[in-house]
Amino acid sequence: MSQIYILCVEDEPEVLDVVVRDLSELEEVFPIEMAVNAEEAWDIIKEIKQRGDKIGLAVCDHVMPGQKGVELMIEMQKDPFTQRTRKLLLTGQAGLDATIEAVNKAKLNRYISKPWDPVELLRIARDELTTFVIEQEKDMLPYMAVLDIERIQEAIRTKGTISDY
Amino acid sequence: MSTKKDRLPEWTKTAVGLVLGGIGFILPLIVQFDGLTFAGHLALGIFLMAAVFWMLEPIPIYSTSMLVILLQVILLSTQGPLFKDSSLPQTQPIEISEHVWQLPATALDGTTIHLRKRATVSEALEVEVLERGEMVIVRSENINAASSIVADYRHKLVGYEPVSYTRFFGTLASPIIILFLGGFMLAAGAVKYNLDKNITNVLLKPFGTKPMFIVLGLMLVTATLSAFMSNTATTAMMMTVAIPIAMQVSKEDKFRIMLALCIPIAANIGGMATPIGTPPNAIVIAALNAQGLGIAFGSWMAIMVPLVILLLLAAWGTMRVLFPPTVETFKLKLESAFDRSGKAIMLYILFGMTVLLWVTEAQHGIPSGMVAFLPIAGLTVTSVLSKEDVRSLPWEVLWLVAGGIALGISMENTGLAIWLVSTISWDMFPQLVLLLVFGFVALMLSNFLSNTVTATLLIPLAISMGTSGIAGEGFSLVITSLVIGAGCNMAMLLPISTPPNAIAMSTGFIKTPDMVKVGFVIGIVGILSVLAFAALYWPLMID
Repeated sequence: MSQIYILCVEDEPEVLDVVVRDLSELEEVFPIEMAVNAEEAWDIIKEIKQRGDKIGLAVCDHVMPGQKGVELMIEMQKDPFTQRTRKLLLTGQAGLDATIEAVNKAKLNRYISKPWDPVELLRIARDELTTFVIEQEKDMLPYMAVLDIERIQEAIRTKGTISDY
Repeated sequence: MSTKKDRLPEWTKTAVGLVLGGIGFILPLIVQFDGLTFAGHLALGIFLMAAVFWMLEPIPIYSTSMLVILLQVILLSTQGPLFKDSSLPQTQPIEISEHVWQLPATALDGTTIHLRKRATVSEALEVEVLERGEMVIVRSENINAASSIVADYRHKLVGYEPVSYTRFFGTLASPIIILFLGGFMLAAGAVKYNLDKNITNVLLKPFGTKPMFIVLGLMLVTATLSAFMSNTATTAMMMTVAIPIAMQVSKEDKFRIMLALCIPIAANIGGMATPIGTPPNAIVIAALNAQGLGIAFGSWMAIMVPLVILLLLAAWGTMRVLFPPTVETFKLKLESAFDRSGKAIMLYILFGMTVLLWVTEAQHGIPSGMVAFLPIAGLTVTSVLSKEDVRSLPWEVLWLVAGGIALGISMENTGLAIWLVSTISWDMFPQLVLLLVFGFVALMLSNFLSNTVTATLLIPLAISMGTSGIAGEGFSLVITSLVIGAGCNMAMLLPISTPPNAIAMSTGFIKTPDMVKVGFVIGIVGILSVLAFAALYWPLMID
């Protein structure tokens, strides 16, 4: 079973801590990696790739020193390793153009504006990870407990991935 | 954090499995076992390898089945290199005086000689040995000067008549496999058009809003559906019904455990109710069919349904004590929206007709395997199921069962199965003790192994005890096989015991000890009631 990571990219350490805290319920099954800029994010992505693990969800801020969040996500979309990663933009300052670009070029899955509702962030992250697991994982069982159980069960029912032995 | 170190065990487990399986295969080729034919040694190698592979799973269990068939075709078929062009060496007896004959010493095995009937067929004959030496002198009234005697009793064809490779391949098209295929296609149709969900919503309505009645309803509906669909698919579907109910309960309330646990338990138990309920039933039925002991679809249900109801009630009662609900009533959203498209209606008709013809098999006499072709052809002719739907059927389960049936053929006809069980004088034991042993072993093994694999390993032993007569007076092949089948299906102690258990456990609502407690009670009640049924009820059903 490969490990599925959540990647959080945010330049302000205090905000990053809050994001991680809000997602902590998922951490038991989906370990969270943190990066304060795009460069660090790429180092982490490479490391995870080398280990043979996956990134299920990327939560990115937009305005950061160096590469911007949307640019990072476009790059991730081009890289086959992170193409399937569910992408969530968490920002207060992305302009219309940047947002359009994120939707069209980075296939952005979700947009949450700051300040955010912690319950809503957790719900959305859980939903996206559920989609990732249903689409990408043959064995969904190890991840089920923290995800949307109904959707996973429905996927087991319709995809027939588990048979009676 | 997962590192390389964490992954090592998985790799080692595979390697250990492969090596042990390899040793199991080679062992009978280098060690000579007394009383076992040459072909029996080959079959033992295949059996040991398959048993190790099925237990440790270094390769998927269905590929082990495929490997079994491959090895049988190569090693044990008429067309394989070992038996191709092979024929029994023959010699003529020389008459010394009336009924006294001289034979080469190699023809005599203890006090047995083998009459050569055809090039590959011989028949054992007991003789009185008068003199031993390079040539032996024997007395027998059953041979004459024209008799053809097998010159070497150790020849590979003595005690084994090779069968055509088509016999091994043919297991995949045996009636029981076709019956399952029919069931799979109906189930696929039911899922595709949400028939299973809609039936559930209709059936659950009468059970009201009281917690214990809701649970009873969930269990009865689950068991009913899993009698015709896979236990796993039924569990997944019913979970989508149970989880919204569980969400209404506080996290501390033990009732959550009951809601998540009642479904896999009912699905496991419900699988027993019909021949197509779960794969171990196929192994039982195929083995009995091979002995000319067919069980009609309806008769199977008459035999098993009372047991199913008893076990469901036992599980319900146990959970009621262990996880008492504190909530008074529940709101259930049960809206059924039956698909009214032409294809869906075609499915309902075919489903209804097939099930009706199955349960009335004893009345009209059309074998259930034959009826099964009605949905197989019907659902594709009417495009109810598409090419993609046909492709996504659980074909590997059919291979798993076919491999099991094929292994059974060789265990029987090479004499391996008899050899394995003949070391113990079974006739010393009362029949009930014998049944207890078989049921208990089946239950224990299948708590850890695949239920189908357990049935595959045990059924040939029971069959050979029956056919050889070593089990003593009053041994019933049918009842013993049913006990084994039931034992395999009652194993639900651990998350690994069955796929439904694994699915329920993965929701995080249940802890392993909860499952063990209920599984233990079901195991004990199950074994005792199976014995009671075997002694009192089943004999009335099967003569």
